[in-house]
Amino acid sequence: MGLILFYFRKLFTVLKNEVLVLPSRVVVVFFFLFLLLLPLFTKDPYLLRIFTLTSIFAILAASWDLLSGFTGQMNFGHALFFGVGAYAAALLNRHANLPPWGTIPLGALAAVVAGLVIGIPCLRLRGTYLALTTLAFPIILMGLVFAFPDLTGGELGISGIARLARSRVADYYIAVVLMLGLCTIMWKITDSNTGIIFHAIREDELAVRASGINTTRYKLLAFCLSGFFAGVSGGLYAHFMRIAGPSTLEVSLSFQVVIWAIFGGIVTIYGPVGAVFVLFPLLEFLRFWQDYRTLMFAGVVLLILLYMPDGLFRWLRDKIEKECPRCKIRNVAMRHTCRVCTAPLD
Amino acid sequence: MTPSFLEIKGLTKNFGGLRAVNNVSFSMERDQILGLIGPNGAGKTTLLRLITGILKPDAGSIRFMGNEIIGRKTWDIVNMGIACTFQNMRPFRRLPIIANVMVSCLSPRAMKRGEWVKRLEAKAMDALEFAGISDMARERASTLSQGDLKRLEVARAVATEPELLLLDEPFGGLSPAETDLMAKSIKRLHKGGRFGRLHSEGPAMIIVEHKLQWLMKIVDRIVVLNFGTIIADGTPDEIVNNPRVIEAYLGRGEI
Repeated sequence: MGLILFYFRKLFTVLKNEVLVLPSRVVVVFFFLFLLLLPLFTKDPYLLRIFTLTSIFAILAASWDLLSGFTGQMNFGHALFFGVGAYAAALLNRHANLPPWGTIPLGALAAVVAGLVIGIPCLRLRGTYLALTTLAFPIILMGLVFAFPDLTGGELGISGIARLARSRVADYYIAVVLMLGLCTIMWKITDSNTGIIFHAIREDELAVRASGINTTRYKLLAFCLSGFFAGVSGGLYAHFMRIAGPSTLEVSLSFQVVIWAIFGGIVTIYGPVGAVFVLFPLLEFLRFWQDYRTLMFAGVVLLILLYMPDGLFRWLRDKIEKECPRCKIRNVAMRHTCRVCTAPLD
Repeated sequence: MTPSFLEIKGLTKNFGGLRAVNNVSFSMERDQILGLIGPNGAGKTTLLRLITGILKPDAGSIRFMGNEIIGRKTWDIVNMGIACTFQNMRPFRRLPIIANVMVSCLSPRAMKRGEWVKRLEAKAMDALEFAGISDMARERASTLSQGDLKRLEVARAVATEPELLLLDEPFGGLSPAETDLMAKSIKRLHKGGRFGRLHSEGPAMIIVEHKLQWLMKIVDRIVVLNFGTIIADGTPDEIVNNPRVIEAYLGRGEI
């Protein structure tokens, strides 16, 4: 009993001193609560379906940010990882009769291998050249998919895959909990020592080498990690939609990911996740004007990027929080002095 | 016979038709500070880049503590104990200064050597304190002045705990007072007793520099390069009186 009370008090202290002091953290807590409690209030299958898909794509967008935002390896073919994850999960499910909890991790591992396969030839490339080379890989794979229609189903894809779970709500919870967990892991990675090296590789690779870091290993690590997370989302997608088709490899999906990430703000994990949660439901909402849907969507994205070049969520965060000039700790914008070092905030 | 600390033999590097480093051979000992001087374009920076493996030589050999290092990757060479700074500073501009140094602290060599210093930040702070910019540890590197960037370069190199430190113009862009401080820190570093190696000697150094009057105070020996070849090698006093060196810097006088 005393122990429970101790942990309860500890939780309360952390909440009071670490979470409630910053509005962005409060927002994150509410975001978690909202997603986890939503099915208690509504069981509308359409709404749940949208949020499930949104969660799946949020993993994908965040994994792009890990590779291209943090490590600076511009990947314009991120659909490759997604497609490999989806196809691998589908094939394993159809031919080996593995259940989803087996196919999704194995599909993610296949995507890791894909990360190695495109990472090794791309090691020497950077910038535009890297972007164009990566763009080619999903197209190559799509060619292979069409070349072997017996195995891959060709244009129709592989259908009749086992459902993720028995009910919509279970589907929803699997996707949402995985999304929250994986994105937290990604955020932790970028916050760790490895994350510092990723940042440094983006800034100046030669200088990182001269600091004694094996940049080849870290770049491949970035490709593999990003491939893993994108592969999980691909496997989830295949089992949720119950089909793995060539649309998972399309160029438009690759660019969709880039748009999401840049809209939310790259080099933050929360930015792309938040962007998917804004843009994906928005696209559904705009079905009211069916004819102008894509035009409106493009307009919104352009407006945001015009006025908030760092991304929507960076901009919002800078509006509600200020950085202390002395100790670089973030404070609520309303404060006049820093909450830690009491230096005046201008 | 023990192999000498650093031994360079017949090192040659061409850039297209230009022979930047031409058949350079010299060796240095563990306790030396060696100054490398020469007019602009003499191949000093190229020589340092060959030693750190950023550039690949066309011919010749470099042996460091008995091991051939040509053909090894830059990070291997750094982990063997050769650290370098860049002449045109290359900080990670969007990272805080402390993170710049932490990258060096994360190299396998630094991780292994400073085992008893548990915290990475503490080690990075140590290097920053040595360079004299620890009070700005949380600032972004893009906000630093030229002189401070130079110090950051030195801090980053020193954080890998090298045996041999290659400094490419450590005084470039520094005011006289800052130069004085930097010269003193270099001297102190050479004496040893910093960075997790309390009972060991400091690194040997090769310093490329144009500010000769400061360089003379630090170094034991000077090698002069001109058009990629060594034209003089000796103690600072010998060098300033060497007619070939004076000719290389000032040109031949018409009487």
